[in-house]
Order: sequence, then C-alpha cells, then structure tokens
Amino acid sequence: MRSPLARAIGLGSAKKGAGPWWAERVSAVALVPLTVWFAAEIIAHSGSDHPTFIAWLRAPLAATLMILLLIALFYHTALGLQVVIEDYVHSGAKFATVIAVRLGCFALAVAGIMATLSVAFSG
Amino acid sequence: MSNPTAKRPRPLAPNVQIYRPQLTSVLSILNRITGVALSVGAIVLVIWLLAAARGPQAYAVVQGAIASWIGQFVLFGTTFAFFLHFCGGIRHLVWDTVHGLELRSIYISGWAVVTASVVLTVVAWVVGSLMAG
Amino acid sequence: MIIESSNQVPRVTVLKRFPLPRNFGVSSESRIEQGRTWPAPSGAVHVKSFEIYRYEPDSGENPRLDTFAVDLDDCGPMVLDALIWIKNKVDSTLTFRRSCREGICGSCSMNIDGTNWLACTRFISDLATPATIYPLANLRIVKDLVPDLTHLFAQYAAIEPWLKTKTAEPERERLQSARERSKIDGYYECILCFCCTSGCPSHWWNGDRFFGPAVLLQAWRWLTDSRDEAKEERLDNLEDPFRLYRCHTILNCTRTCPKGLNPGKAIAEIKKMVMERRS
Repeated sequence: MRSPLARAIGLGSAKKGAGPWWAERVSAVALVPLTVWFAAEIIAHSGSDHPTFIAWLRAPLAATLMILLLIALFYHTALGLQVVIEDYVHSGAKFATVIAVRLGCFALAVAGIMATLSVAFSG
Repeated sequence: MSNPTAKRPRPLAPNVQIYRPQLTSVLSILNRITGVALSVGAIVLVIWLLAAARGPQAYAVVQGAIASWIGQFVLFGTTFAFFLHFCGGIRHLVWDTVHGLELRSIYISGWAVVTASVVLTVVAWVVGSLMAG
Repeated sequence: MIIESSNQVPRVTVLKRFPLPRNFGVSSESRIEQGRTWPAPSGAVHVKSFEIYRYEPDSGENPRLDTFAVDLDDCGPMVLDALIWIKNKVDSTLTFRRSCREGICGSCSMNIDGTNWLACTRFISDLATPATIYPLANLRIVKDLVPDLTHLFAQYAAIEPWLKTKTAEPERERLQSARERSKIDGYYECILCFCCTSGCPSHWWNGDRFFGPAVLLQAWRWLTDSRDEAKEERLDNLEDPFRLYRCHTILNCTRTCPKGLNPGKAIAEIKKMVMERRS
C-alpha cells in the first residue's frame, strides 16, 4: 500500500526527455522543405515512365535530396511512433514494440538510401 | 445487503465516451492518425524506390498498383493526410516557440490548417492530372 | 467558428460526443446503466430536463443516468442552482461538491454537456435539451458527481508548490519588481478545480505518470516566480518523458479552463525553459 504521494512520484524523474522532443522538432523543420521538394517533383513527373524517372533520380542534387529526405523522414517517423506506442501500450510489450519500430525505421531508411545510391551510381 | 468487508472498486467516470469533440482535440488526434498513416506511406515510398532501382519490370508492377482505382484512392488519401500533417505540424512548431497559444489564435490557426489542407490537396491533384496529360 | 474565450459556449454542435457507444471500452464496474426518470413538477410552465450521472457506493449497483425535470421559474439561473433545486425538491440523495457559488473555490467542477466547467458559473440557458451532467472525466467516483481527487492533489504535492530559497531570509519581504510580479499573472489565479486535467486525453491514458495541465501550470508558476531559487531542481523534476513530455499540445485544457487561464501556454514555456538550459 503506497501513499498517494509515493504513487504520484513513482520512480522519480528521468531527468531527460528533452532530447527526443528536440530531435522530433529538428527533423520536422528539415522535413518542411524536403517534403515540399518531393511533392513538387512527384506532381511535376506524374505519369512519367521508368527511364524518365531514373534520369531524374540520377542527378546528383535529386539523389542527395532524396537521401536527406529518407534520413529525416525515418528519424521523425521513429520518434513519432515511439511516442504513440508509449502513450497507448503500457504492458511489457511496450519495449519490444518500440525496439521493433526503431529498428524497422532504420532498416527501411538504409534500404531506401541503397536504392537511391544504386540508381545514382549505376548505368 | 452487500458484504461490508469486500471493497467494491470505485467506478471510473466516462471520458472519451462523453467528452465533447472540439477543434483542439479533433485536430490533435487527426495529426496523430495522419502521422501513423504517413508512416505506412513511408514504407510504400521505400518499396517504390527499390522497385525503381531494380528495373523497368519491377517499376511497372508498382506503378500499375498505384495507377489502379484502389491505388489512386489510397494515394488521394495519403496526399490529404500529408497536407493535414504538414500544416498541423507547422502549427505545432509555431506553438513550440510559445506563440499563437491564445484561444482565439488556436481556433483561427486550426481552421486555417483544415482549409489549407483541403485547398492544397485539390491543387496538387489538379496540377498532377494536368502534368500527366 | 472562432472561440475567443473559454467562456464561449459553442452554438454549432457538429458532434455532441465522439460516435462511440456509451459504455465503449469501459470496465464492468463502471458501465452506466439506465436510471430512473423522476416525476416532473406539477403546474410548472418552463421545465428543462437534466440527465445526471448517479452512483450509490453502498447499493452494489452500477452507475446509472437519472432524468430530472427542473422548474426553471422556481430555480436560479446557474447549473448549480438546478442541482440544489433537485436536491431540495426531488431527490435529496443527489450528491455534489459546492461552496462559494461564485466560481472561485473550484469545488463544483463537473462535466456539463460534454465539457468540464464549474456548475456555479454555467448558465442553464446555455445548455442543450436534455442537459447532460457527468462528473469530471476519467476520475474514480466516490458518489454521484463527487470524484476522488487524491491522485491529482498528490501530483500537485510532488512539484513542491512552495517558495524554495537558499539565500537567508531578508529582514522584511523578498523584493520583486512590478514586472517580475507580472510574470506570475495568469498562473497564480488557478483555483485547482482540475477541469483541465480531467479534460486532457493524454492524462486519460497516462494519468498515473503524466502530471497534467493543472499541476504543470502551477509548476510554471513557481518556475517563473523571481523569488524562487530552486529552478534547477524543479526543472530536473519535470524533465521526464512522462511527467512533462506526455503533453502533445492537444490544448483541451486551455479550451476548458473556467477561469480563462492558459495551461497549454504554461507547459510550452516550461518546455522552452528546459531547452534553454540545454543549449
């Protein structure tokens, strides 16, 4: 039987938490111009065929921006999904789900970067 | 007569079942729902890039799926979700600088987000279909 | 429709509540059952019906929703007057907290027509028909409209809401300029009615660890008080993924404060102060 104050204090303050909050905001700021660029390019190239698309993505600027987009996007996604999971999952499954999501986002980011690089450096 | 020694747990007052939906809470949950939806969209983005890197046949399969009725429907939903999350996100970034947190500003910016998202989605699709010819 | 102040009752109601069944996701002891309809007053011309949440702890029954008909010509203009009228004229077992009847003590906070407010400052004429009165959302219920606020007050105690100083006590007052004193305006006026905390969805899902807007507003009140000398300790205590950072700026708190205060802004200021000491 814990006192109400003991229950309110719990395990005490973690004394950190600003890190992920700040990183989510910084990645959001990065995503503003990057997603605008991506959306504009997608709209401009609607209905184009494979060679046109490859020619566009091979350009150094497009490839670089795509890689930056993938990094910022998956970083922001990982942080955001972690917050959502922490909000709704309270059982032991919480840590497992957070780990799975973080590793999944990292793997997807690497896969996307590899795909972009293979287009940028290949024939 | 109930057993005096057995303590019946106190009931919990209803929360989401009876609380009035307001612009504040509705836009906030929409920001979260669109965020999760866009996470799924990010997976599709990587699949699309991998298909493009793989070759014309793989790319054609993915493009065909996107061009189908269901694909276009999902794409429309994803663009709307993107613009909602984008405008909502900018609204959040402004709040994080401790600006625009008075009730009047909250409501004006909230309606601005909804309007801007609808307008941007429509514009994006109109321009996109024009570019596609 | 633009809301200028939290006192503004919205005229257009698209959705009275999210389209969920009344007992959605509710544990068995909290399920609300059909209640009784009390007889209308005879000979009354202006009658308004109220649906009120009832719970009798000694009956062994589940909570229920009773319907009362109130004679508006016999009763004062505020919701609290209606509750007192019902208690005097219809059902004397109706239980609710009340004291000042002027919106300063914070006792009569409850959920009226879906939003949290003080019963003594809500006009009956602003209510829907039938009016629905529930206790403050997501709190354990002692009886009828009386919630158990123990945990909320414990969270308040956990932020140590008193002046903490290291320098020796001065001969007279600890001095503070008018500008420094104005920094706590908008925060010291909180009456701890907990309308905001009870209306915060993040506190619904994580109320055991998230401090909630009322407590965080008071935490900011002490952080921004120039006489306080324990900022480091206070910020250490607050900077936690749950205590502070479960706030996702939903802003239901600012929308519902019956005193017109702005907990959302206070929390944004705390987050800004946390960042300022990191960079």
